[in-house]
Amino acid sequence: MQALYAFGLIILVAFLGARFITKGTSLSPVNYFSYSGFIYIILGFALGRSGLGVLGPSLLTGLTPLISLGLGWVGFLFGFQLEAKYLKRFPRKYINLSFLQFLFVFLFGGVAFFLMLKPIYTSEPGFLLYGMAVALGLLISLNSPTLLSMASNFIPERGSYFYLSRFLVSVSGFWGIIGLALLSSFWHFPFFESKIILKGGGFLFLSTIFPILIGFLFHFLTKKRVSEEQMLVYLIGLVFFVSGAAFYFNLPPLYLSMVLGITFSNLTKTHEKLYPLLLSTEKPLYIIFLILIGALWKVDFDYRASIFIALLVVLRVLAYMLPLPFFKVVLDFPLRLPTRFGLCFLSSGGIGVAFAVSMKLVYPLPLTDVFLTIALFGILVTEFISPWGVKFSVFRLDSEEQK
Amino acid sequence: MIPLALVFLLMLLLKWPGILPFANSDQSTSLALGFILVFAYLLGNNLKRLRLPQITGFIIAGIVCGPFILNFVSESNVNDLQLLDGLALSLIALTAGGEMKIKKLKRQLRTIISIVVFQTSIVLFGFLILGLIGQYFIPFFRGMSLLHLFAFSLLLGTLMTPTSPATTIAVMTETKSAGKFTDLILGGAVVKDFFVIIIFSFTLSFSKSITIPSHNFDFGFLLHILGEVGGSILIGILIGTGIILYIKFIKKDIIIFILSIAFFSYQISHNYGYHPLLICLVAGFFTENFSSQGKLLISAIERSSVPVYVVFFAISGASLDLSALRQTWLLALGCVFLRGLLKFSGTFIGSRLTGEGKEIQRLAWAGFISQAGVALGMAIVIQDNFPDWGSEFMALVLAVIAINQIIGPIFLQRLLIKVKEAGKK
Repeated sequence: MQALYAFGLIILVAFLGARFITKGTSLSPVNYFSYSGFIYIILGFALGRSGLGVLGPSLLTGLTPLISLGLGWVGFLFGFQLEAKYLKRFPRKYINLSFLQFLFVFLFGGVAFFLMLKPIYTSEPGFLLYGMAVALGLLISLNSPTLLSMASNFIPERGSYFYLSRFLVSVSGFWGIIGLALLSSFWHFPFFESKIILKGGGFLFLSTIFPILIGFLFHFLTKKRVSEEQMLVYLIGLVFFVSGAAFYFNLPPLYLSMVLGITFSNLTKTHEKLYPLLLSTEKPLYIIFLILIGALWKVDFDYRASIFIALLVVLRVLAYMLPLPFFKVVLDFPLRLPTRFGLCFLSSGGIGVAFAVSMKLVYPLPLTDVFLTIALFGILVTEFISPWGVKFSVFRLDSEEQK
Repeated sequence: MIPLALVFLLMLLLKWPGILPFANSDQSTSLALGFILVFAYLLGNNLKRLRLPQITGFIIAGIVCGPFILNFVSESNVNDLQLLDGLALSLIALTAGGEMKIKKLKRQLRTIISIVVFQTSIVLFGFLILGLIGQYFIPFFRGMSLLHLFAFSLLLGTLMTPTSPATTIAVMTETKSAGKFTDLILGGAVVKDFFVIIIFSFTLSFSKSITIPSHNFDFGFLLHILGEVGGSILIGILIGTGIILYIKFIKKDIIIFILSIAFFSYQISHNYGYHPLLICLVAGFFTENFSSQGKLLISAIERSSVPVYVVFFAISGASLDLSALRQTWLLALGCVFLRGLLKFSGTFIGSRLTGEGKEIQRLAWAGFISQAGVALGMAIVIQDNFPDWGSEFMALVLAVIAINQIIGPIFLQRLLIKVKEAGKK
């Protein structure tokens, strides 16, 4: 019964937050922080087990379906925008750049994290540290389009850099989520001792084919004329179904629902009908999701975690900035790619949070509490500084290009 | 039919024993919820083509996939989903309250009260007779002392009286009904809920005083129940005022506000013993009738009403205790038949005395068959208060509810179609 009280409180706080926090009239860190909804993680944290304790562990267990729906929703929305027709508009070099960027950031980050994790977390088994390094590497490879969509309201002149960065931040998550799927399939919990390739392959196949089937089903259900209410039931039900199946098999709900989103988006012709529905449903769901994540967050903070939070921020900045001139040469990229352009990739937004929570839920280990702490603090810091990054990179590069 | 079969097969595959070693059964609630949402909705749509109410499909889906048959939605899933169930009930009650307009009620108030009074007294009396006569030929009643039998029958009669406002409003929303019958049945179902809660406090105290030697008639209990009803009305008015002020002055994100209100009212009622259904009914009624914001409230809720109905009725179906039905199905069927007959008599007499037309006299009873939440809550109280026969009583009541919950929506839908009120909204 306490769950009901907590849920009521969550919605009320979310509502009050939405009402009284100003959306902002400039691209400042504070405004972006409230625009992106990250403030709700802090509110959730205050209500959660590390805060006031209104949302205790047993309540959170009861509220797991909503977290599952939230993760599924983030994945579905992400996948839904990956429509082949839309992606084909961009030159192939853009896609190559996004993959190369992902690969570099992931490898650079993953190796650096592993080298630092081993001497600091000496008591943890090596295979767990490998997993954590991979997860942190994947985390910094994710980007969010939220910041650029807010920035688009303030940008003086939208030029090539704005469109390139918006493409890259929209697509980069695809590679990261695939990485998550590979990690979760082959690094399944409890860990396999034998036939890992076979079993991992089986899990990967299942986590891909299942949402594809559901995507076809969704298309089949909606290809004839359907009312908005029917669409809503199918959408909520199927996202729940897919993310629930992911939880059931300890697979990442983000990946499964992303595959659902991609499948459906490339089959359906109802985009115009679905977008308003997605937009109207997204806000309340996302707010509740962020609050629940804040409440779920058990802060495992010590000097070691603080080192990794700082490392995450530094690696993120470096991994996006350093290789750009090299990519320009390798890909013979039509635009100039100065290192400062990399500063527009500091925000990982909701998808980063969903990724971190996905890891925590798929691998319920004490070390994943540490991971969640590093990830969430790291994300909060990078989110906070990311508006400056966009101003120094996209704003200036575009205005220089115009001149 | 193909999507329905496909969803079913997918779930069957996920629950295939060969795959279970790789699954984490502790994390199956979201899967169960997603499956039941889609499956129940598709089944409801298929039944709609057969001219049956959608909610019957939702309930049947819940029963078939629930813990007693396929176990796709396990008992622990059902418990985990109580949270969403609570939200759904509050939203449905808000809608039901909002659909009751004083102007229309005024015209039919005499008839509604007359029907409620006659239905209640005739059902009570009828079940009392059943118990007293039944001891000679119904094995279930044999071995009970006369006083116990009297108490049993009296309480059984009380629980056979209410009609489910949630089911009533769901069928009316689905069939888009409007008119005299619609108002009469919805009004009757809601007023009866208030009435039955008060009657129940009498019958429970009386039954305890005659069956438990050390127990006298408990006026305190009676006052307590009256306090609960009065408190629920007061809280409902306060919440209704809050809704009016919100819609009037803020107006944004109404659905988030309504969700929070629904859960708060539900939680307040559970912490302090008030009735969530009554609170939300009164809040909806107050908003509709004492402000110009009622339409906005109803339209905001109705925008997301379908998933709410699917979740609520599918979980209701999954919660129905089929083992109880297996134990007492014959007697339960008898009770369902008798209840229907007594409801017909009560409605006939009640409406005839107020001068209603022959159509209402003969047909309106069919709208009062559905039965759910309130009766279930009372059965639990009885089980706790009468440990000697409370569990047998509970089994019988659960079985009767199971049958009425399936046939009730069908009766109501048929009635609304027959009197040509379906599709008039």
